[in-house]
Amino acid sequence: MQETKSGSPTKELVLELRRITKSYPGVIALDGVNLAIYGNEIVGLVGENGAGKSTLMKILIGNVQPDQGSYQIHGQAVRLTDPAHAIHLGVGMVFQEGSLIPNLSIMENLFLCHETEFERFGVLSRKAMREAARTALTTVKVLEDLDTPVADTSPAVRQMVEIARLLWLSRLYRQKNPVLILDEPTTVLTEQERETLFSILHEITKQASIILISHRLQEIVENSDRIVVLKDGKNVTDFSSENASIPEIEHLMVGHTFSADRYRENEQVEQVEPGQEAVIKVENLSKKQKFEPISFTVGAGEILSLVGLVGSGKEALCRCISGLEKPDSGSVTVGGKRVTAGSPSEAVRSGVGHVPVDRRNEGLALGMTVADNLNLLVLDRLKTARLMSPIREKRNALDWIQECRIKTPSPSTLCANLSGGNQQKVVIAKWLTSQVSFLVLDHPTRGVDVGAKEEIYRLIRKLASDGVGMIVMCDTLEEDIGLCSRMLIMKDGRLVREIDCPPFRKPSPSEIIGSIV
Amino acid sequence: MEKKSASIMQKEATLKSPGDGPSRLAPPLKQLQQWLRASGISGQLLCLVLVAVVFTAGTQGKFLSWANIQVILNLAAIPAIIAIGLHQVVVLGGIDLSAEGVVALCVVVVGLLAHNQFNSNNVGIWIVPITLALGGATGLVNGLLNTKLRIPSFITTLGMSWVLWGLAVFVSKGQTIPLVDNPLSGLINGSIFGIPNLALVALALLIAVQLAQDRTRFGRYLYAIGGDEVLSGQAGVKVDRIKIIVFTIAGMFYGLSALFLAVKLNSAQAITGNNLLFPAITAVAVGGVALTGGIGGAKNAALGALIVTALNDGLILVDVNPYAQEAVNGVVLVIAVALTIDRKKLGFIK
Repeated sequence: MQETKSGSPTKELVLELRRITKSYPGVIALDGVNLAIYGNEIVGLVGENGAGKSTLMKILIGNVQPDQGSYQIHGQAVRLTDPAHAIHLGVGMVFQEGSLIPNLSIMENLFLCHETEFERFGVLSRKAMREAARTALTTVKVLEDLDTPVADTSPAVRQMVEIARLLWLSRLYRQKNPVLILDEPTTVLTEQERETLFSILHEITKQASIILISHRLQEIVENSDRIVVLKDGKNVTDFSSENASIPEIEHLMVGHTFSADRYRENEQVEQVEPGQEAVIKVENLSKKQKFEPISFTVGAGEILSLVGLVGSGKEALCRCISGLEKPDSGSVTVGGKRVTAGSPSEAVRSGVGHVPVDRRNEGLALGMTVADNLNLLVLDRLKTARLMSPIREKRNALDWIQECRIKTPSPSTLCANLSGGNQQKVVIAKWLTSQVSFLVLDHPTRGVDVGAKEEIYRLIRKLASDGVGMIVMCDTLEEDIGLCSRMLIMKDGRLVREIDCPPFRKPSPSEIIGSIV
Repeated sequence: MEKKSASIMQKEATLKSPGDGPSRLAPPLKQLQQWLRASGISGQLLCLVLVAVVFTAGTQGKFLSWANIQVILNLAAIPAIIAIGLHQVVVLGGIDLSAEGVVALCVVVVGLLAHNQFNSNNVGIWIVPITLALGGATGLVNGLLNTKLRIPSFITTLGMSWVLWGLAVFVSKGQTIPLVDNPLSGLINGSIFGIPNLALVALALLIAVQLAQDRTRFGRYLYAIGGDEVLSGQAGVKVDRIKIIVFTIAGMFYGLSALFLAVKLNSAQAITGNNLLFPAITAVAVGGVALTGGIGGAKNAALGALIVTALNDGLILVDVNPYAQEAVNGVVLVIAVALTIDRKKLGFIK
């Protein structure tokens, strides 16, 4: 069916997913996705954030069960119970964040939970383990001391150890052509390590198949035999990479029309006049190994979108602005006053708010009520005679619940019991109450269903019309374009491009994506 | 392609490992140095030498006399046994504060079941399995509460300690139970070549536990859980089961200590358990077992007990005010924890 670079047209089908569907409350993550992996090939899997790549991978390794569809390994239908089961059947994954235990040595990590091989009367034979470890590690060319704790090794070595572990396990369980899934393996690597990785991966295809997930299309095109593109939980195409071009793939990843009113463009605040006083002025802000000196301003009511891949430095930049991280140099000026670097409380006092991506841990006190969370920043205003006034607290909370259409049974409901979308509304409402002049929105619609998304867009527009300047980082490029009035693109810690996005004359995603990847 | 293999060759040359089987040409001193670095007890040995040097100088050599060394070994044995039991829970990333309660109850049970002046019971040598089982049972309950009800080990074991202490006082009616002709007394109070038997027992337990930690699957899983519980579970480690086993073993070590204490004192009372926990926790911390889990073994715990005992013995010899001695112990504990704790692992310091 598929031609591969090595030219043999009839390769054995190793693994096949057919018409896989998986939905979560409010979202369909995967909608009838097909995926076939043949022996000894590298398949590149690409797609925007939220296209369904991670759900697909979780289904492949048995972390998540599909709602519908069939999963076959070597022609046999399987129902995976957990990742350990997947490993027994020769499907394993190297996660972006790694799954090695930091305090154990390389050797111990290699065989963890599968040491029975080396047991002699209940005692582990170090000699046998060493020998097996050496053989396992020669394939991936790791020459570190076997006793080094994993925490002391480089990300490249850790990655190789994980690959070696999966290969060794597949041999242990007699799987002839294991499938290794690598999630963004190159983001943590240097240029040279990247080269080594791919030369090793090509070596490994002699005994295994590889699914390679990456945002760097260049390396996907160069190294994979086939490319599978996912978009909005659906297969777009599946083609040989021989005649693939990067612009073509980019178009497949994002290319579609989108409705202007979804993002309430008609409410977009018209471009601020140049020279008008900025809400926030960032000057030569830099942090070593994260981002290089960067300067920009955000005007009142302006929504600035910050776009870039993971590792582009945009997250660190935002954390520096809101005081969560300390920059190495440069300054942030809000309303003409310089903000002390690295102090979140100082940032809040100057009128800088932050809606974090991890709202459950950083944005909300989940164990507190909706009212308590809403009132957190304005406690001083709710006092009578220097003591908290329960009546005023409740009134304030009710006002904002209504204003922001937070769906909660009562103000005294715990935030932990709200849906993700309503939790996010509480976070944004909290900043609305405190009259911030500048707000950082870190993925404001992450994990939120469609209805709540629209509510959040409405709140963002409301903030803008109240004169709040904002930086947004969105889940999809489309959302970024739809919301923002100006866009900054960052790549490898540098500002590479600035694009104006006036209402109804917005650039299309495919014009922009080239500067991002 | 050639360039790639060249770069790999270069890596091979630079990454050549030092501990990957020590090179045969290295002089013995260098081998010793390597072994010390790999063993994770070099700092503790240095500490012990430092204590010895300071107090030997302060006591004109009396500190290093054979008689004093015997005293130290004898005194260090019980804290060492408790610490060897306790540190395993710490390696898991938990804490076990139940030692005093377990010892109190086990001591009282020894008093009531062994040949005593209180009643007519005499179980003879059976007292050994009985105390081990009783201590193990308390540990088992700790483990079950910790894993199945998901109560933090800190609270589980602290609560357990008070329950058992109350039970011990209740059962013994708060009285001292004198023992009569215990069959173990000869063994426990004796010595071989001048080395107290208790110290030899502690050494045997140390070797057994250390071997289990280094060379069995169980030991590897212990450290894996201490390193990252979630990832270990994903890799297939049966986290709950291992935790329960470790709490149970710790309880058995406390039970054994209780038996030794009762026989050594030739009497049993609940307050025998008092003041055992602090030295044991100090020993675990001083020995280099990180309170955040995953680092340090039985040798660390035992060495820690030796250092703490030697320090206290030295302070007595140089005639430091007893209250000041207690303060010194507190300072030592805080410093030891400050040096060993892995702050990256703790999100918030509570």
